[in-house]
Amino acid sequence: MTHDIRLLEPGEDTLLDLKLDELRRDLAAHEPPGAMEAILARRFRDSRNGASRPRLWWMPPLALAATIAVVSWIARMPVHAPVAAESPAAAEADAGPFLAIKPLERIALEPGRTIVRTTEFPRALLADWGLPVPPERAAEPVRAELLTTVDGEPLAVRLLN
Amino acid sequence: MPPQDPQPELALLARMKQGDEPAFVALYRRHKDAVYRLALLYCGSQQQAADVTQDTFIHFIGKPGQYDPARGSLASWLGGIARNLARKAAGEREIATDPERFGDDAAPFEEHIERDTPLEHLMRSETAELVRRALTGVAPHYRDVLILCELSELSYADAAQVCGIDIGTVRSRLSRARAQLARRLAALGAGTTAAQEAS
Repeated sequence: MTHDIRLLEPGEDTLLDLKLDELRRDLAAHEPPGAMEAILARRFRDSRNGASRPRLWWMPPLALAATIAVVSWIARMPVHAPVAAESPAAAEADAGPFLAIKPLERIALEPGRTIVRTTEFPRALLADWGLPVPPERAAEPVRAELLTTVDGEPLAVRLLN
Repeated sequence: MPPQDPQPELALLARMKQGDEPAFVALYRRHKDAVYRLALLYCGSQQQAADVTQDTFIHFIGKPGQYDPARGSLASWLGGIARNLARKAAGEREIATDPERFGDDAAPFEEHIERDTPLEHLMRSETAELVRRALTGVAPHYRDVLILCELSELSYADAAQVCGIDIGTVRSRLSRARAQLARRLAALGAGTTAAQEAS
């Protein structure tokens, strides 16, 4: 092998150019098949249609994140016990005694049709029901639960404070 | 090839990237022949050259953003893609080799000269056919610059970009490539050497 090359003389260069011109002329007669343009144009159109279609890759992760957030919110939400202010069952569950302000016979006429409601009224009203009221506190409001008929007639009372 | 104003082509490219089909077609029409002929020189087969041309433009459709105008012309970028695809299509027999391993007159690729390629049936001109055959026998690293600079009319800068070498190397390889081609032609009986002409 030798790396020693003799480059071309000017005349040889010209002759080689003439030979290369022949090959260039021959090549110039060659063109790609005419159908290729339509094939590529259709390919271009298809690729653009694919690109312009909305990409929904973000939908599954978004749906998953939303699900996790909702479940997490539900799990952390404080559980509110139903307010039983007007429930007869609530009155029964309370250990504190009711003081009857109507005859027991009268109360017995209303089984299952009584309501317990929380209310506030002047302490002096207790005197009307035969309960002791210190005169110096007669003007104070008092919170109490009243056992009433469905019509609102008080049957018994339980003081809350 | 004289340098051209790249702006109209870049405007077409910008429109193509926005999905403008006529802009793509215009670019295709500008470059299809050069890409096809380049592929034909590398592959030697019309069918393979058509496949390479189609694949080159499919790549262009899919990844137009890969072309960086700051690094060269669109012609050279497409030429580089076509060259790589054509070399692959040619069975990778043209895998780049270390030029230092071969002397200019060593003939490690001699077997390619007689390789039966369909291009033999394409060349109408006897001289063109002789040049084509002689070209097939030139070492690949020299043939590259001959095809790109002499037959595809890319600038030295564009050829350098396609081959991944500097312009100085393109120049020196081209001189040696021409000398090697002339000797191959002489060996095939189409003399270009002064001695042969004199005789």
